[in-house]
Amino acid sequence: MLAATLLLPGLAAVTAVRAEEPPEGVIAFKYGDYRDSQPGWDRIRVHSPQLYVLAPFADTWSIEGSVVSDSVSGATPRMHTSRTGATPAMSDHRSAEDVKITRYFHRAAISLGGAYSGENDYVSHAQSVEARWSTEDNNRTFLFGFGHSGDRIDNTNSGGSVEDQHRQTREWMAGVTQVLTPNDLVQVQLTRSLGRGFYSDPYKDFDERPDSRRSTTTLLRWNHHVEPRDATLRTSWRYYSDSFGIRAHTLSAEWMQRYGAWTVTPGARYHVQSAAWFYFDPVADAHGVPDQLATQLRFGSISGYHSADQRLAAFGAVTLSLKVAYEFANGTTADVKLETYRQSSHLKPGGGSPLLDPFRASFVQLGVSHKF
Amino acid sequence: MLSGCAGWGHVEAWEKGNLAKPSMRLDADPLDTRFTQHVYTSKEAASGGGGVGGGGCGCN
Repeated sequence: MLAATLLLPGLAAVTAVRAEEPPEGVIAFKYGDYRDSQPGWDRIRVHSPQLYVLAPFADTWSIEGSVVSDSVSGATPRMHTSRTGATPAMSDHRSAEDVKITRYFHRAAISLGGAYSGENDYVSHAQSVEARWSTEDNNRTFLFGFGHSGDRIDNTNSGGSVEDQHRQTREWMAGVTQVLTPNDLVQVQLTRSLGRGFYSDPYKDFDERPDSRRSTTTLLRWNHHVEPRDATLRTSWRYYSDSFGIRAHTLSAEWMQRYGAWTVTPGARYHVQSAAWFYFDPVADAHGVPDQLATQLRFGSISGYHSADQRLAAFGAVTLSLKVAYEFANGTTADVKLETYRQSSHLKPGGGSPLLDPFRASFVQLGVSHKF
Repeated sequence: MLSGCAGWGHVEAWEKGNLAKPSMRLDADPLDTRFTQHVYTSKEAASGGGGVGGGGCGCN
């Protein structure tokens, strides 16, 4: 039981497990609802039911897997945040599955994983291997992981012009989890990703991106248990940089407070990023409002890579969340989580990219899980 | 008090009761993590850091 907290997360599942013996079984279902908007415009809505199973077997093995089915509807802008340039009402469906099998040894574990994600215009296959082991005193655990994914992009079925494009990505990860005190656990992970292939957005106007993307990510997590209050402060900081010129910091904190069988967890997240070097700003008219025609004319003068995708702009974003869970005596837990997200140039210190409409989203999750 | 007894990074097995609590797990709710990370991956330029081998999607 103690070692369960000491080991690094799994691969895509990011599940903490103990190395010397399989964890207890879990079956969980969660329903997610996501919707976003910009001023005067409801954009995207997503329904996302998910199922997850983790099952130990044969004393030294476990298998875990999940399935998710996303139903997407709404419209997205073809450039910047222009409503007039949005796609007509669209709908899409995505299904994704992943599985991981783990063999446990005395102080180590090895996992092999596979994942699939499929949409009518995008298919991804991924594989991963992870090895982890802990020191004799169980105060330190090391992790190494390698992953590969192959993606295929083809939107000719939906009237697009992108046919049979591909992207290959390799990822290496190394990390260590350390017990600092009886109430403090820290983890640091470094991930290097090298990707080659098609990165442009097939549905956006004026979008032509480099054919390689190299990124480095540092993730630091610190959990601190506050014994007098029977609560845990969970914090993380992530620094991301890539060859697109993106530099991003992401900070998060949540306070997990127990009241008997209830657990209440308020949380906050702050993200700030710089713009990609090939992102171009919209052109303003005399009133300071984005002028789509002038922007298109300006685009015509740009040679080389270029994108008007808001996600590659400079901005800040804040999320506030509240999760409430109730644990029944039989090992079943029910939970609900509400989150509100706001993205704006003004949330970046010193200001972000100009003339972008603020972006808002809200997401709700309803879940139930059972241990066996 | 326990912290005072244990050296920094040298915690004995009998001192790990709080570390074993579910709230101290680095990922307390895998499905929650997947859902929210998927949302952020589709709305921001930075992603990843928590694992490898998750694959891509058309959302970004």
